[in-house]
Amino acid sequence: MNKVDSSQKMINNDAEADLIVPKESDEAGFARWKTWLPEIGLRFPVLTILVTLVITVLFAMQFPKVTFDNDPENMLSKQEPIRVFNDQIKAKYALYDFVIVGVVNDADPNGIFNVTTLNRLDQLTHELLSLKRGEDGLPRVTRKGDDGTYREETLDLRPAGRRDRILATVFNQNSNDLFIENEDGSYSSAIINHELIAPSLVDNIKQAELGSLKMEYLMENPPETEEDALVIRNDAMSNPLYSGTLVAEDEQAICIYIPIITKNYSYNVSQLVEALTADWDGDDLVMITGQPVAQDTFGVQMLTQMAVSAPLAGLVIFLLLLYFFKRLQLIIAPMLVALISVITTMGLLIGLGYDVHIMSSMIAIFLIPISVSDSVHILSQFYDYYPQFKDKAKTIRHVMSYLFMPMLYTSLTTLVGFASLATTPIPPVKVFGLHVAFGVAVAWLLTMVLVPAYIMLAVSNKSLKQAEQRPLVEDDTSNADFMTRFLERIGFLAARRPRTSVFVITVLIAIAIAGIMRIRVNDNPIKWFTRSHPIRVADDELNRHFGGTYTAYLSFSAVDADAADCMTKGAIMKKAAEERFAAKFPAETKRFMSAIDGLLPLYRNVFTADANRCFVDLVREAERIDDDTGAAWNTLADTINYLDSEGLTKEVLLKALSEETEIDNSIRALFEDQFAAVSDEMDGADLQDAALDICDEFTDLSFRDFVFEQQAELEAPLFKRPEMLRYLQDLQEHIIKSEVVGKTSSAVDALIKGAYELAYVEAPSDATEEERIEMEKINEANKAVPSTAAAVGQVFTQLEGMKRRDYLFHMVTRNYQEANLWVQLKSGDNIDMETVVEDVHEYIENNPPPVALDVGWSGMTYINVVWQDKMVTGMFGSLASSFLIVFIMMVALYRSVLFGLLSMIPLSVTILVSYGMIGWLGKDYDMPIAVLSALTLGMSVDFAVHFLQRARDEVALRGSWLKALPIMFRVPAVAISRNAITIALGFMPLLAAPLLPYKTVGSFLAAIMVLSWIATLLILPALLSLFERRAFPNTAKK
Amino acid sequence: MKKIFLSTIALSLLLISPIMGNEEKELTGDELMSKSNQAFYYAGKDGSSDVEMTIRDAQGGTRTRSMTILRRNEGENQKYYVYFRSPADVRRMAYLVWKNVKGDDDRWLFLPALNLERRIAPGDKRTSFVGSDFFYEDVSGRNLTDDTHELVETTDEYYVVSNKPKVPNSVEFAEYKVWLDKTTFIPMRSEYYDKNGKLYRTVESKKVEEIDGYYTVMEAVASDLITGSSTVNSFSNVRYNLDLNANIFSQRFLRRPPREVTSRK
Repeated sequence: MNKVDSSQKMINNDAEADLIVPKESDEAGFARWKTWLPEIGLRFPVLTILVTLVITVLFAMQFPKVTFDNDPENMLSKQEPIRVFNDQIKAKYALYDFVIVGVVNDADPNGIFNVTTLNRLDQLTHELLSLKRGEDGLPRVTRKGDDGTYREETLDLRPAGRRDRILATVFNQNSNDLFIENEDGSYSSAIINHELIAPSLVDNIKQAELGSLKMEYLMENPPETEEDALVIRNDAMSNPLYSGTLVAEDEQAICIYIPIITKNYSYNVSQLVEALTADWDGDDLVMITGQPVAQDTFGVQMLTQMAVSAPLAGLVIFLLLLYFFKRLQLIIAPMLVALISVITTMGLLIGLGYDVHIMSSMIAIFLIPISVSDSVHILSQFYDYYPQFKDKAKTIRHVMSYLFMPMLYTSLTTLVGFASLATTPIPPVKVFGLHVAFGVAVAWLLTMVLVPAYIMLAVSNKSLKQAEQRPLVEDDTSNADFMTRFLERIGFLAARRPRTSVFVITVLIAIAIAGIMRIRVNDNPIKWFTRSHPIRVADDELNRHFGGTYTAYLSFSAVDADAADCMTKGAIMKKAAEERFAAKFPAETKRFMSAIDGLLPLYRNVFTADANRCFVDLVREAERIDDDTGAAWNTLADTINYLDSEGLTKEVLLKALSEETEIDNSIRALFEDQFAAVSDEMDGADLQDAALDICDEFTDLSFRDFVFEQQAELEAPLFKRPEMLRYLQDLQEHIIKSEVVGKTSSAVDALIKGAYELAYVEAPSDATEEERIEMEKINEANKAVPSTAAAVGQVFTQLEGMKRRDYLFHMVTRNYQEANLWVQLKSGDNIDMETVVEDVHEYIENNPPPVALDVGWSGMTYINVVWQDKMVTGMFGSLASSFLIVFIMMVALYRSVLFGLLSMIPLSVTILVSYGMIGWLGKDYDMPIAVLSALTLGMSVDFAVHFLQRARDEVALRGSWLKALPIMFRVPAVAISRNAITIALGFMPLLAAPLLPYKTVGSFLAAIMVLSWIATLLILPALLSLFERRAFPNTAKK
Repeated sequence: MKKIFLSTIALSLLLISPIMGNEEKELTGDELMSKSNQAFYYAGKDGSSDVEMTIRDAQGGTRTRSMTILRRNEGENQKYYVYFRSPADVRRMAYLVWKNVKGDDDRWLFLPALNLERRIAPGDKRTSFVGSDFFYEDVSGRNLTDDTHELVETTDEYYVVSNKPKVPNSVEFAEYKVWLDKTTFIPMRSEYYDKNGKLYRTVESKKVEEIDGYYTVMEAVASDLITGSSTVNSFSNVRYNLDLNANIFSQRFLRRPPREVTSRK
């Protein structure tokens, strides 16, 4: 914004005296190179306007290609290691983005578990699954009618209001688009049906009739009676995987998680859910949330924002200019410049294939005030000087040559401020910065070429004649007087008491720095919505009922997949064999030991990839030992086993054995000896079992089985090893202690639940109360990680075969070598995620896992933290670099280091104070705030440029700073004020936005404008008084 | 596994019947499916087979399981005994299934490492068999009376039969088509379609051999086109008519596996 001092005539008294009289040297010396651009507009006005129009149309033609992107993930480039890792984790564990539909009922005595609500949820689930595309492209679902029959129904999800419909058409948003086109031209639902998480579709393992185990869906059938509903409640609440995630622990809410192919469908899916639940009356509240919905909704609202705020900002500025300048003809030119800059910039962005992101959606709002001010200055000076020249072209040449340098520099500084954003590592911010920089350049070019052409064509000589009679700003006196008097007073005070001023400012800076120290870096995309926004309300509500809807993943893999070699395993096995066999089979144990000793050296030097290699040969040797010792017992046991139970007596059994010739007599004798102790009363299956129990004592001691058992333990993948699973369990118990974490889930939870239900034994119906309690204790003890890897493996195998296939593999890889812990946070605040990350890091440091692990975080909640960190450091770099460049430019402009420094001071104070304010107000330093830091620099330096430039001229003209002071506070100060007010008010429409980042930008920029306006007018007079000698050496000497 | 027999897990196995000559009269869908069912699931009076199961997930990772399966026909009902040999952690795990054509199946499982035998309540048979892409129903057969069967095409090699569930919402498919070999009646390919008419699952017989006079599927593949995973079952040591002791198919043999499935003498 150039606030080159333009509006000389704004002050009526002394107006003529204040004018810098045009000198011949100006015209001759500067004119040629400073006016070659305006010359084009002057000589070929029609052509200029036509060319501009054609180019503008070309850029505007890119608009229909617009795409939007509100995915915070894209705050990082696709190649960022964390995104690559995140994508790997998503693929590895088949993780999807979810639309979360929460249904809350806190009025029913049974909460959400009432017959009506559960039936509704079941129907909703099946309606979602039935989604298909009709011939007409509209979504169709199968719904149950009032008469109980099912029929297909076509839905139209487009917004009802005409305005929204037009907007949706313009921005190419089709709410009915819920399908992806397959290669064969058919369509599939954007909902990933087999991953839908709902009570009707998740597994449950439970005890059933006759001591059997039932594996079915949690809500296999919707309840018909209250008892049915309560069974579902009990099943859900007793499953650690569902309580706190699928169902709220307060029993008042259930969430359905709808996985979608890509995030872009989430808004449409949320519309679908709203349509399907529109007829739900009573106490069921439907809340839709989840990061993808938030992002997508944000995108849709961004459209409204762009379609409303930008024109509104234009209108406000238009009205302000009209109020200040009172001439419609004059105001059209700046508005044209603004419009064309915005169209070309957005056209470029869209044409280059960039998505419109939250940042780039604000381009128009930034460009309008910036581009307007350039041309306003030209025009107002044009009207001032026209009476002297009485020739449009000559007047323009004069005005241009005078304004060229300040305009160039102020445009350049603004441009640098925005372009410096390109140094940040955040792609959308880069795109934003570079495009606004482009827009600033376009605005400058248009001001140089189009405005002269406009004047030549559109401003009639007649109107200019009238203008001569009429001062540019006629009834401005009262208003200007008030402002002038106020500014004069503070300015004079500052200039006359420079030391006091500097002291006050220093104190202010100190307070600001203290405030900056208090700044809390934090962002939360959900908080981009205002508190009353349905998304935000749903988010608050669901996070109140549930463990939290913000998920981060903590994944584990071994640093070294299989650390133990054959030698180590051999040693472990020898120890175990000693314990198991030495007492009963000392000779065989010795033989087995030497077999191990004999085989191991073969593998000593082989770091074999085939883990089973250590065991293959050993199994053969073990088999031979078994054959020599236990074979007879096995034959004996087999003989008994194959007998028919019916009619079996001791006599029959013994007879059968005596007929089996392969049984060694001594063994038979040993068996008969012990069998004699069995009661003669016993018969049938019981007798058979008793006989087999005797054999088991010997058959159980099989070396072959022992080797397999050892293999199962020693070769077990990481996450089938009990000690590793217990470590994970302990870690989970630690994490959940954190206040910000509501819930964690892992394969261990599934395992323990499975082991418990598998091993559950119900007390017999005639058991006493004591027996029951005792039984419960035994069952409760099974709520633990099983003690061997084989037991773990067998429970997992059962879970793998449940109705909901592969559910387990969201938490552990199929080879059980890696695991993925789901951590649910109660808020999306980055600061909360950071706490958890640090906490986990510390825990693992202090409690090293049994096997060295690679631990990595992923998930959107975590990614937000990563880009936030990058942004904070990136913005600092960008700020520092633009500060340096602007400083160098200032030194070049004034050819004085002192003036360079002086011009940087007001904006530095502005930035310090505005960020200090953020610290003191307790507002989080989030993405919009961070982005603003760098660009305010480029924008607020303009005031100082203007003030100092004029101060130099005035001091040269009037001989001393004190003499120049009064005029400084009447002419340039007022111009600065007008500019500050125009821009600040221009940003005001943003405050009406339903999206907080826009509000933040609007209020923050307005605050910065006002601050830097005051800072310029306060600090510069004081400093110029203090450094008068050095600042104006020639005049000072006089 | 010296002693082995025939079985039918997972769409495997063979065909008895055959050689019906060149009938003039065209068979109906019902007759074809009935013949196929007989050939595929009921070959011999009993049988045994070793199975190598390879489950390949969408990312290309594989898991293998090897089992031995015993089957015994008892009228129209059947009994199955499934014994796991590897991997080491599930070794000696065993399932017992009594398939009752008129009524629910009875199922038991034994987990040796937990020394645990449990009865499993009857449930949905269209769920994964031990985590593979085969369903229980693929292993033991789908009740023919649950679907309507219609011969939709006769090619040089195949009868193509379309099967639709009589109760539409009882199963996840809206239709499945079977390609029956014209001479063996072995289903060579089955395609499952969802309510949108989209193919989402296939089961194929990749290799068929004649063993003891019965046409037997030696390799079967089930593919889940939604998740991209697939399972290959390779059969070996197939035997028929072994006169398996009926006692084997009882709970006692869960804990103490029969000689027929262990390689122990």
